[in-house]
Amino acid sequence: MSIETIESDEVERGKAVGSSMQRREDRPLITGEGQFTDDLKYPREVQLVILRSRFGHATITDIDTSEAEAMDGVLAVYTEEDILASGLDNTIPGDGGQDHTAPVDRHLLASQKVRYQGDPIAAVVAKDRYTGHDAVDAIDVSYERLDMVTDIQDALQKDAPVIHEEAPDNVAFEWSSGNADETLASFDDAEEVVEVDLSINKVVAVPMEPRAAVAQYRPAAEELIVDLGCQSVLGVQDHLSGVLGVPEQRITVRAPEVGGGFGVKAQPYTGHILAAWCAMQLERPVKWQATRSEAFVSTNHSRRHDLTARAAIEDGRIVGLHVDSTADVGGYLTSGGAGVPSGAFGTRLLGQYDIPNAFVEVTGVFTNTTTLSAYRGAGRPEAAYVIERLANACARELGEDPLEFRRRNFIEPDQFPYETPFGSGYDSGDYEKTLDKALEYVDYEAFRERQAEAREEGRYLGIGFSNYIEICGGGAGGLQGGQLRIHPSGKVVARSSLVENGQGHATGFSQIVADELGVDIDDVDIVAGDSDRVPEGGGTGGSKAITMGGNALKEGAKKLRERARAIAAHELEAATEDIVFDDGEFHVAGAPSRSMTIEDVASVAYSGNLPEDIRGLEETTFFSPEGSTAPFGTHVVIVEIDPESGELEIDRYVAIDDVGTQINPKLIEGQIVGGVVQSIGQAIYEDAIYDDNGNLLSGTLQDYAVPRAKHVPEIEWDSTVTPSPNNPLGAKGVGEAGTIATMPAIVNATIDALEPLGVDHIDMPLTQERIWRTVQEAQEE
Amino acid sequence: MELSGTFELENVTVEEVWLALSDPVLLAQAAPGCEFAEEVDDPDDVDFDALRAAAADREDPPTLPEADPEEVAERAIEEGDHYAAVLGVKIGSVNPTFEAVGTITKREFPEMHASGEGASSDSSFEVSSGMKLTETDNGVQVDWWAESDVFGRVAQMGQRVMNPVANRLVNRFFSQIADRLTDVGEDSPNVRDRIKDLI
Repeated sequence: MSIETIESDEVERGKAVGSSMQRREDRPLITGEGQFTDDLKYPREVQLVILRSRFGHATITDIDTSEAEAMDGVLAVYTEEDILASGLDNTIPGDGGQDHTAPVDRHLLASQKVRYQGDPIAAVVAKDRYTGHDAVDAIDVSYERLDMVTDIQDALQKDAPVIHEEAPDNVAFEWSSGNADETLASFDDAEEVVEVDLSINKVVAVPMEPRAAVAQYRPAAEELIVDLGCQSVLGVQDHLSGVLGVPEQRITVRAPEVGGGFGVKAQPYTGHILAAWCAMQLERPVKWQATRSEAFVSTNHSRRHDLTARAAIEDGRIVGLHVDSTADVGGYLTSGGAGVPSGAFGTRLLGQYDIPNAFVEVTGVFTNTTTLSAYRGAGRPEAAYVIERLANACARELGEDPLEFRRRNFIEPDQFPYETPFGSGYDSGDYEKTLDKALEYVDYEAFRERQAEAREEGRYLGIGFSNYIEICGGGAGGLQGGQLRIHPSGKVVARSSLVENGQGHATGFSQIVADELGVDIDDVDIVAGDSDRVPEGGGTGGSKAITMGGNALKEGAKKLRERARAIAAHELEAATEDIVFDDGEFHVAGAPSRSMTIEDVASVAYSGNLPEDIRGLEETTFFSPEGSTAPFGTHVVIVEIDPESGELEIDRYVAIDDVGTQINPKLIEGQIVGGVVQSIGQAIYEDAIYDDNGNLLSGTLQDYAVPRAKHVPEIEWDSTVTPSPNNPLGAKGVGEAGTIATMPAIVNATIDALEPLGVDHIDMPLTQERIWRTVQEAQEE
Repeated sequence: MELSGTFELENVTVEEVWLALSDPVLLAQAAPGCEFAEEVDDPDDVDFDALRAAAADREDPPTLPEADPEEVAERAIEEGDHYAAVLGVKIGSVNPTFEAVGTITKREFPEMHASGEGASSDSSFEVSSGMKLTETDNGVQVDWWAESDVFGRVAQMGQRVMNPVANRLVNRFFSQIADRLTDVGEDSPNVRDRIKDLI
């Protein structure tokens, strides 16, 4: 299946982009040399442990810390009172208080009320972690338990417990987008209306490394230094400055190796902010490392919606799309808590289809559960799931093949750039192309014959398609810095604010820079993950490392090359416009012997004898793209289901993705495969389940079923290339595509398999029990 | 979480079981993991450290079959009584120690109800429970039920882990009672008569 890689020294000068060079990130990870946050040890370091609520909903009448404070090895025990006494207002940034959201704050530590199991209440700093945990156990919190509500439908009932006084109806936000009047009218006149009710399960991102941070404070210099696994060193610098009141130029944020980000490490949380605050209080290094159980209840959950999606159909074409959804935000509105289930979800609902009228309404609801926000795909997996489930339902209703229905409704290549009724733009696309390519892998006609034969033998095979789009990779008005320097030795250092979370940024960035400058790939070093050493720009998330970071470095390298050209012209005593650049060498047009390599140029670039405007080889670019990118593709799944036991087996998984220009196909394949695996988790296994008492029942890796290797089929990956017109590389985002594409393909395949048994609907996760029950119920009807 | 079950005690009378299950000393001894149980006046204001110290200094009086039935009847629990107890249990990989208080909410021969709540360092429970005794051909049947709400670490383990543990603890408790009462029946027929007269 897999793409062969090459060693970096096999990469030809000038031809790095497009080659599947081996990841330069792997060696430290494989050898164990890589340092994660908890591997960092500083002299006098002490440990922060956080006391979290056992109840989903309770008022706190008293917090008695005296016993914990008296324990040997305990340096301090802090509650909200201490935070307020230090001059902070005890809040951290979130989506509350915007035009369309409830005016609800998030707090660093709860004092009067807790709203989900895991809500932070107090902090212990101790000499070692064990003492810290013992001391947390010794804190005596007097709770008065309140009725709680963990389900979005229950939370909207009239007599539901009120979670925030500021939102008496438990509504966190109300949001809509699209052309409402035309859309609703299109249903009045439609020949056919197709409707699906979907319940999307709540999932927990499970990075191998739970969140962690170690903070140091230098009181004389008033400097704060925080190392943490995160997605944006500059973003963390920003919110630390905002919450703690330390000027941002005095805050250094560094990301060591990060054991997975997936969107859930892009966020202000109590853990790392409190570590920094404690370091300032105690004037010594303070480390916080979440346990796995703590991560389950305190790291954002994601994706929970209950919705109705309707299509108005005329002449076999969708002329109106209406989606009405209720989304869970958990106990508070985090950063993205409103944004992800509204805009990030709602404006992507069109998928690959040319639908003139569309209208989406989302109501965000508070529940006594862990907060929800972005997780790989952030709203788009849910959107792709909705439209692709609806597309299949439409085909079924019209009695036609799901591919025929899709092809008729596709946006045509000549319609790009395409603007949706939600106001979002698709840059480029050719949706038939990925579908056709997928059908080269899967012989559709032959499968249908095989399926019919198998049914006669009492075996149930099904095929499911997902024809997805996503919108990602930054957008117009976005900004990303890229900084490059060629040292006198000729070695190149490029700097970017994007934080490596496993994607292979340094590999991809070095390929782009090496080609622009015509240098050996091994002569390019990438610096990232350190707020002091990188130019302004965004963090990792929204699949923008290459589209933003890569393009910034490409543009920066181009400027640097022009600088080098001017120096070469000066040295070769020719006019700049007469200097030709070819594979790392400058020569005078028509006189190839009068030449200098870029390394030769570097060796003379740092001289006071050069004219001032061409001294040195250093450039910083602030790149902004023309617009966002819309990667797309076709994923095909073949499943076999045993209706007697409810067992589902993925027989084949074919993924054809178009992410525009490819910098390193091996990295793209890896991103797609990783995303597909996470989405298989949501489709078949994973579910964040709360009991009526607000306990997270699936809160350990024994109970929460992240897919294991044996659950993952071979993923056959291939691609097409439709460059984006919105950035110089022509690249589109790739990090989230796999998670976005997979779920509807698996569920559509399952329904296709069970169709002869009368099944036309099933919700995720497709556990053995759920499939079995669905079949039983369908048989009874 | 709702639990219920039936336990059969052979060769005993309803009165004997009733008296045994009314003896706070025997109940504390039979309850698995019970460090001590003490009657308290105010269930909202319990000093567990003081109770623990007092319990450590004291020796339990004799219980059935050795005890004088009249003495047991004298100290028997009554409707409205409050008790404080410290209970250690092992559930899966965790060993929480609960400080609990309970109230006898109903005591009408042959039926008894109690409610209570307890908290450990990371978990809490609230419970209401009851049992009813019925005479059978060769002994007594105890029908028991409990409705509990559990919070925190223990609750996160889910019913899959908690239900078997709860059932095991209840069965162990009744087995302890049964063992004591078997001795009453076998060894001291006149004790049996005295108990009958007491109820």
